[in-house]
Amino acid sequence: MQTGNRRSLKELRDTATTIRKDVIRMVARHGQGYVQQGLGAADLFTYLYFQELRFDTANLNWADRDRFILSTAHNTAVYYATLARAGLLDPATLTEYCLDGSPLEINASERLGPLVECTCGSLGQGLSVAAGLAMGSQRQQRDANIYLMLGDGELEEGQVWEAAMFAATHKLSNLTMIIDLNYMQVEGDAREVAAIDPVDAKLENFGWQTIMIDGHDFDAMFASFAAARADTDRPSCIIANTIPGKGVSFLEGQKSHNMVLPENTADDALQWLEADHG
Amino acid sequence: MAETDDRPLKSDTLHLDDFSVKQQPNHQTVPKYYGEALLAAARVDTSILALTADLTAPTETDLVRDHLPDQFVMAGIAEANMVGVGAGLARAGFIPFVHSFSVFLSRRSFDQIAMQIAYPKTNVKLVGFMPGIDSLLGVSHQAIDDIALMRALPNMTILEPASPADYEDAVAAALAHEGPVYLRLYRATAPATPLNDVPPLQAGRIRCLHHGNDAAIFATGLMVEQALLAAEDLKTQSINASVIDCASIKPLDVEGILDVISQSKIIVTAENHTVIGGLGSAIAEIMAGNNIARPFFRIGVQDCFAEGGSRSFLFGKYGLSAKDIAAAIKQGLAS
Repeated sequence: MQTGNRRSLKELRDTATTIRKDVIRMVARHGQGYVQQGLGAADLFTYLYFQELRFDTANLNWADRDRFILSTAHNTAVYYATLARAGLLDPATLTEYCLDGSPLEINASERLGPLVECTCGSLGQGLSVAAGLAMGSQRQQRDANIYLMLGDGELEEGQVWEAAMFAATHKLSNLTMIIDLNYMQVEGDAREVAAIDPVDAKLENFGWQTIMIDGHDFDAMFASFAAARADTDRPSCIIANTIPGKGVSFLEGQKSHNMVLPENTADDALQWLEADHG
Repeated sequence: MAETDDRPLKSDTLHLDDFSVKQQPNHQTVPKYYGEALLAAARVDTSILALTADLTAPTETDLVRDHLPDQFVMAGIAEANMVGVGAGLARAGFIPFVHSFSVFLSRRSFDQIAMQIAYPKTNVKLVGFMPGIDSLLGVSHQAIDDIALMRALPNMTILEPASPADYEDAVAAALAHEGPVYLRLYRATAPATPLNDVPPLQAGRIRCLHHGNDAAIFATGLMVEQALLAAEDLKTQSINASVIDCASIKPLDVEGILDVISQSKIIVTAENHTVIGGLGSAIAEIMAGNNIARPFFRIGVQDCFAEGGSRSFLFGKYGLSAKDIAAAIKQGLAS
């Protein structure tokens, strides 16, 4: 269980590097996958599972746990790696990622067990379920928060805005949405596909507290998640600017939804991560 | 024009007063069978919540709103979100009853129902009103394909009671099944008469409402009344038809249905729904799967869209009347 003690920046950075190496290895086995998104969100996942979320590794169904929903359900390399490093999943199973029969599917499903609080993958649905969980938690007067990670391209789904209105109407202040803002979707730059900007002003006008942060700055995460917890009147959204491929200099900023990762590139990336932080 | 004057000015089925601020005085004479049943259940089990998408009175959830406000959630005109919220509440331990018109609940939130309710088997009860072509409001409001959609979903139970007198049992049956249930209901326009000498509605059970060996009519929802009228009419012509209430469309009472079919020469299905993918298809699948051949007729909407109108007008125009059922049976016997 997380104790609430503040971890050191070094501890968080080292954990994120370990997770990034896992992501490279997991995707490299298949030669292609969600490597850029995984590297980009590794710091957010590290912060969530090593600092923010309260859970019990001995009882995954603990009723008062904080709940996390990955609405961008395809970003599983970093998700499974984080769960494994946080003691929530056997690290040995990471080698089964995307293999036939494995519960570590490319889109996270409830076959993995109670850690997957709802099966997303069909985009736009996660926030509604998170809102239901948040409302339920409030009605039961539980001291538990509901977290949701959403991709920026997913903001194009109308249901997200239905849910955003609902959450504000019902003052679901125990709900925190993290938008992984990398402006990357299948078709290219999300801003060219749809006018998603300004995300903060849009959600602010929907009645949310919004906080823009650098999605690789742990200090900013400490402050923004604290602000989210402190608001007892509105749901909160932390809009985290992330860089696809973050942590491996020659991958940083390359926008590719399902990127090819040849063996030699993966080896170079692992070496880079070793050298930088080893 | 004279012919225009003969047409009903107001549907015999639409509760227009629900959409206006002022309630009409005669409204109180017809009980809210579903609303009362839900309210009674919610009083006993405080984990029951009523969710609605701006259709509180038309789904009779005003009773929960007014008597148990803490167990009522207004979700706004956003069905897809409401279904997701319902799934989240179910995961938190509540029993959400999620209400709208059948057409919106099924078509507008089908993916959400599939992924957040059917797949994870969340304990959500979906309650759709205004089934089939029973609406003055037109094609946008007519759920002609909801049974087919819900039938196709694994883990879904579908109950369509024949009479509002059965709604209390339908709510009880929905609660008795821990998992997804779709209740397909219409609103009573007159006091309902309980069916005599039949066991209460149950999931997975048919009920024989009328006995006869010449033909069997498998009917659901509003078509049960039409089937009973057809059976009475046929009786005057010495043709004996069984009327089987198939309120539990999924799971179907396969054994019971096979037993009825084995004793009947002609098989007719009757549903206020397209004949594709609903009760008629389900009975045909059972017959084909068991190598049973009989003259077979599916009464229902014949693969077309309808328009707004009164129940009697639409059932007549689209072949869903007692007359159509009786004609099918006579055709079968003559062949």
